[in-house]
Amino acid sequence: MDGSENHGRGPTGATPEQIDVESYASLYSGHTKIARLHFIADHSNSRNLELEALRMALDEIRKGENTVLFKECVEKINGRLGPGYGLDQEWIDTVERRAAQRQEKLEMELNGYRTNLIKESIRMGYNDLGDFHYARGDLQQAFKCYVRTRDYCTTSKHIIAMCLNVILVSIELGHFVHVSNYVSKADQTPDVQDPVVLAKLKCAAGLAHLESKKYKLAARKFVDTNFELGSNYSDVIAPQDVATYGGLCALASFDRAELKSKVIDNINFRNFLELVPEVRELIHDFYASRYASCLGYLQKLKPNLLLDIHLYDHVETLYEQIRHKALIQYTNPFISVDLNTMASAFKTSVTGLEKELAALITENQIQARIDSHNKILYARHADQRNTTFQRVLQTGSDFQRETRAMLLRANLMRQDFVMKGNRKQP
Amino acid sequence: MDALDQLVAQVQALSGSEQDVAHLSSLLKQADELLRTHALRLPFSLSSLHPTKHSLGYLYLLEAQSSGTLTREQSDSFLALASSFLTVCAPEQIRLAPDKFNSVCRRLRDQAMHLHEPMRAILPLQCAIRKLQPSSEYLTAIHADYLQMCLLSKCYKASLSILEDDIFEIDQKKTSLVPRDFLLYCYYGGMIYIGLKKFSKALEFFQHAITAPTTALNAITIAAFGKYVLVSLIQNGQVPPFPKYTPAVVLRNLKSCVQDYLDLANLYASRNIAEVKRCITQHEEVFKNDNNLGLAKQVIASLYKRNIQRLTQTYLTLSLQDIANTVQLDDEKDAELHILQMIKDGDIFAAINQKDGMVSFQEDPEQYNTCDMTQRLNNEIHHIVCLAKKLTWVDEQVSCDHAYLSKIGRDRPRYDEDFDLVPQKIYTNI
Amino acid sequence: MAIPVNGSAAGSSSPGLGAIRTAIRSLQFSQLADLLDNLELEIAASGASKPEDWPYAVHVLSHVVNHDLNSARFVWKRTAQTIKESSPELVAAWKIVQNMWTHDHAGVYKALKGFDWSEQVQPVATAISNDYSSCMLRLLSTAYSTVSVADASGFLGLSENETVTFLTQQHGWVLDPASQMLTVRPMSSVVNKKADSSQLQDLTEYVFHLEH
Repeated sequence: MDGSENHGRGPTGATPEQIDVESYASLYSGHTKIARLHFIADHSNSRNLELEALRMALDEIRKGENTVLFKECVEKINGRLGPGYGLDQEWIDTVERRAAQRQEKLEMELNGYRTNLIKESIRMGYNDLGDFHYARGDLQQAFKCYVRTRDYCTTSKHIIAMCLNVILVSIELGHFVHVSNYVSKADQTPDVQDPVVLAKLKCAAGLAHLESKKYKLAARKFVDTNFELGSNYSDVIAPQDVATYGGLCALASFDRAELKSKVIDNINFRNFLELVPEVRELIHDFYASRYASCLGYLQKLKPNLLLDIHLYDHVETLYEQIRHKALIQYTNPFISVDLNTMASAFKTSVTGLEKELAALITENQIQARIDSHNKILYARHADQRNTTFQRVLQTGSDFQRETRAMLLRANLMRQDFVMKGNRKQP
Repeated sequence: MDALDQLVAQVQALSGSEQDVAHLSSLLKQADELLRTHALRLPFSLSSLHPTKHSLGYLYLLEAQSSGTLTREQSDSFLALASSFLTVCAPEQIRLAPDKFNSVCRRLRDQAMHLHEPMRAILPLQCAIRKLQPSSEYLTAIHADYLQMCLLSKCYKASLSILEDDIFEIDQKKTSLVPRDFLLYCYYGGMIYIGLKKFSKALEFFQHAITAPTTALNAITIAAFGKYVLVSLIQNGQVPPFPKYTPAVVLRNLKSCVQDYLDLANLYASRNIAEVKRCITQHEEVFKNDNNLGLAKQVIASLYKRNIQRLTQTYLTLSLQDIANTVQLDDEKDAELHILQMIKDGDIFAAINQKDGMVSFQEDPEQYNTCDMTQRLNNEIHHIVCLAKKLTWVDEQVSCDHAYLSKIGRDRPRYDEDFDLVPQKIYTNI
Repeated sequence: MAIPVNGSAAGSSSPGLGAIRTAIRSLQFSQLADLLDNLELEIAASGASKPEDWPYAVHVLSHVVNHDLNSARFVWKRTAQTIKESSPELVAAWKIVQNMWTHDHAGVYKALKGFDWSEQVQPVATAISNDYSSCMLRLLSTAYSTVSVADASGFLGLSENETVTFLTQQHGWVLDPASQMLTVRPMSSVVNKKADSSQLQDLTEYVFHLEH
């Protein structure tokens, strides 16, 4: 793989590192590995990267039974990887024949269990059938089978297994409402102490919040995820992702105190951050007001984050919010700020900065005013006394207006003064 | 002596004491038929009555005489008779027949309009309102006609002597008015305040029209709402949500009738001048037909102002060129003119530096420490105290009201300990 | 001229017009507009039309002198077309309103100076002119920190030389000859900040109200 190629997405000055697909893919297993590789192939600007990702995806698909996905992937490769990556009809036929037999067998078994009404066997039967459909890529069927096991669960363990299965399929389907529902079902199950299970549920909940753009809630889930998660959830998420998702969401949504207590001083989450030093560094830079460095790291990370199946949709929003937070934090302690200095700290032009600040002032996020002539930002301290007078006058006139309307209305009602229909008005 | 002469004689005899007048009133109520049949002789009979001393009888005769179509001369002489009658009649007498009184006033209005002399009716109707009103807080059926005449004759300022009275009392028995009179009063009142550029008062009037109790959506409400939207944008930059007591039928059906106005309101929120202008051009036909094109143009002007005002919240200094660019004005000169006008009107506080082409924005210099401001505050407090007293009085009235008490008793489970009737409830829940 | 301005010339003169002439002569402009508005309504209510010597131009300007352009506009609007066509003085008065409405300062002065006002209108026109230039001076000194001589002369209705002399000598402004820009010296305004004892009485009443 050509590691020196640039994506073209990075800004000038920051040379983004080319993603190392191989080591990236090694963090994941199962469906998510294939899905993530496909995502990279679809969203990458580099042909080499695309082919590399597709090659690895097809290798992975061949280990499973999903013939539909196999055909799709071969189509995407379109012969560009040589004869070894073409449409292997023989493999397809073999897999499909075997699958048909297995499906018949599983369904027959399940029918048998159902006539005999053996609860545990029915649950296992549905579970096996669910696993089968999942492996074949028929997610709807898999979802139905897993949900059906619910009626036959007899222990907490069963319920947790059912929930995790449903969550797994729902994440792949993109049905994050189901994810949230089954996370809370699992949370309500008594006697769940397995730290790995708890960590998995936190991650799933975090992903659901991320998808619905509730970044603060997502951050809380990720930073609370137990490090014992390890690579146990590699069919959904890698511990590196927990660090990145959690870190960025926290930066975008936490205030300074929260950032300190829930992220920087969080010994458990620190373990995650160690896995992605860039994220760790940029969080510390942000907290220490080293904005240029912080923004530099962010720019460097951006191309890779845009190739992330869960994060890509939120990168712009999160970056914007982080930038706003940084701007606000920068101006906060000063009475006046030289816009030239500030612009260089934020690697932008004075004109651009002026616009950004104007927008934040308008939204009342920064209490200051811009001296555009001398390029200085002045903090503004509202005169309490004058504001009070203004509010008093306003409240007084509102009260009078509303009271008059009310008194008039009371009399209209008392006189039963109702305009009747069916008469044409001029 | 025939029946009419007899009636005239009774009027002359029974216009003294309160008792007599009450008796006369019941006699006159049965005299409609008689007066109609002798319509031609009424002018002679009227001349033997005194408009002040025999006001009640005079009223009945005048009303009977004016029914039917009038020739130009008759119309002229009716206007003269009615005008002087309304000016000099005795209030306590005419209040016994508010329906007849209203009818004479309406005839007066019709004739003035017929002769294209609406201004002619203004002073007589103004007197008439005062005669019929038990106090200035009462609405009469004449109010709407009066305001309409002021509008038609472009005597906006003259209408204030009536319009500035706060109306609280609606009493069908005393003033014989119908819901439509109230709606028209609100609508015309709003229009006059628009003409006088007193937009917040206009909004108050239109809001009354929109929220007036009704069982069907009517044209007055729709027209009032169109103007309400435009004036809200001019005055406040946005259209407030409907008060919760707005009739359901209005909430349900109004929006579909005024989509053009709501479109404009939505675009206004984007603060984009070009979009707002385009929207107004696009709906020009509708605005023109509703006589609202002038207001729509003022909406554009208000957006320029509002956008400049926003800049003053953000900048201490800004070049005229940047201002022109940001608020989409043609050039620096145009920006300077807008700023200058706003400074003059007290909308912003700023100083233009022509040498550098810069504007520096300042805080409101008002320090709330002058005698004038103290006086203003005092006035406001005084008004509020009066209003609060009135509120207390009404509150007591309602608490003693039979209908209210029985309704409360029916709707609310009685708690032995909690016998507090919470009379304010009636205002919030109707 | 179509309209006799001399009261003695018109036999049909309305009695109320005497009060108006008195008001103008004694420069009592604050009530002038109300007097005319009321008289107009009274004449209308009597069913008569306006007398021949009705002072149309004064009626328009009586609102202008009280800073009520809106009402002046309505007076013009309710005046009959035939009257407008036959009275050049009314048209000239209306021109002043139009220029004020469009903020054409130089135009206002031009309209004020450009007509040979009748004896009756002259005092009102003079009052408007004086008032307008002092308003403009106030506006100049609050709205500008620096202003070109050309613009300032437009605001004040003076020639450029007169403007410079007037502003530098009487108001302490400073001229930069190179750029022909004047640096404004803001006017100091005196406001009354003292409270008198009657306000204490008010306060007592409010407290009473709050406690009962």
